[in-house]
Amino acid sequence: MVVRIRLARFGKRNAPFYNIVVAHARTARNSKPLEVLGTYDPIPKPPRPGDEGGRPWKDIKLDTSRAKYWLGVGAQPSDPAWRLLSMVGLLVRGT
Amino acid sequence: MPPRIRSPALPSCISSYTPSARFQCPHHPSPQTRPFSNSTPRASRLRRRMFAWLQGPGRAFKEPLPGSTNYLGAYDRSGALIRGRGLERRAQGQREEGKHASDGAEDEAVGVDALSEEKERLEREAKEKREGELPPETLEDLRPFPLNREFRSQAVLSEELREAIWERVVKGGESVRGVSAALGVAMERVAAVVRLKEVEREWVKKNKPLALPYARAVLAMLPQTPLDTRIKPRAHESINDLPVHQATTTQLFHPVSESRHFTRVDAGLVFDSRLPLLPADARIPHPELVAQASMTRTQAVEAQKALDEKEKEERKQREEKRKKREARDKVVQGRRWDFVFHEVSVESVGEDGRSARGVGWRYGFPHEDRKRGQVKIPRRVEA
Repeated sequence: MVVRIRLARFGKRNAPFYNIVVAHARTARNSKPLEVLGTYDPIPKPPRPGDEGGRPWKDIKLDTSRAKYWLGVGAQPSDPAWRLLSMVGLLVRGT
Repeated sequence: MPPRIRSPALPSCISSYTPSARFQCPHHPSPQTRPFSNSTPRASRLRRRMFAWLQGPGRAFKEPLPGSTNYLGAYDRSGALIRGRGLERRAQGQREEGKHASDGAEDEAVGVDALSEEKERLEREAKEKREGELPPETLEDLRPFPLNREFRSQAVLSEELREAIWERVVKGGESVRGVSAALGVAMERVAAVVRLKEVEREWVKKNKPLALPYARAVLAMLPQTPLDTRIKPRAHESINDLPVHQATTTQLFHPVSESRHFTRVDAGLVFDSRLPLLPADARIPHPELVAQASMTRTQAVEAQKALDEKEKEERKQREEKRKKREARDKVVQGRRWDFVFHEVSVESVGEDGRSARGVGWRYGFPHEDRKRGQVKIPRRVEA
């Protein structure tokens, strides 16, 4: 069975929050995964105090070394997971 | 219901509020303007009294006194300001005195040293000016409800004092605790002033309209604490009050054997063994003031200086720690926002994978937002 790196939607209505998980491809979205690699909060936060540009930001927590391991053993990231992992340079950016 | 608009078709004497005009109005009902009621309103006793009050003693409330409260309790039955009575009497006396003095002055004008005369004149003018002003409000003047004698209108911070607080905390880098102790304003209030001043500055920067006329009008009617530049300024409020904990408002009887050493700490444990109440010494807002009360002045100054230093150092360390933490984060610039990647460890879920400190939303646990004691309103404001 294929192991995937994908997002599991938690949070509330209109307030999404995702766990970045490693799970078997055919299991349900929110079932217990093999491992939780991190989280992704898609709601932009107001600029941090002391930020010169004053840009909003999105909070992502990730265990990079574990993500690297799972990619190494053949885990296939979903498209949103690919986008996130490519930002930290674990994958090349898709077109 | 749509707002009532006074119809311009009505003759002005009907729509006017003054009773005299109302009742003297020649009555010419026309079917277009007054289709239903042809009778003049009956002047009941209460109505007459109301208008008599509005014309008489109540006239003082139409135009508020500048820079003072304007409550009912400050006036007597005839509508005269009670604390202004002495002023009137003095003014009358002075008028008479002035008459006598000017008679005598003409005789003695020759031979008096010009310098001393000038000095006297200045002094007299200063005194007159002092006496010409209304005396400050007494406690009687701060009672908005004449029947509730216990209720007193509390002073608010004046604009200058608020500005000074902001200056000291933000520009001077003083601690909120220190500013609170120095100016006699509670710590919560100091923090609120700083936050609101920041918001105000932001609004000015963004050219947002400020309700300044409103603020001016309200402040002119309230008692205020002015900025006091003395070393020991007049306190705005008592700053070292113990906050009353909710758990302590109910009675609790806890039998203790006489031989047991039962302290305040133990008493706190009785209220809640899981989250014990702190003893009063730990909850008091300004414990350093209590300690300084028993010292000599130089010792107290030294102690305060050491405390300020320590606080400054702690703040610096906190800031450095935050910067270090943020430097570890990887920031990727997006089109509209930055993606901030924070490094975590999957190990944090613990061996059984159930630790509350683990990364991400937990599996197999109901969400705790309906649980007792969950605070859902924002507890901090980013200024």
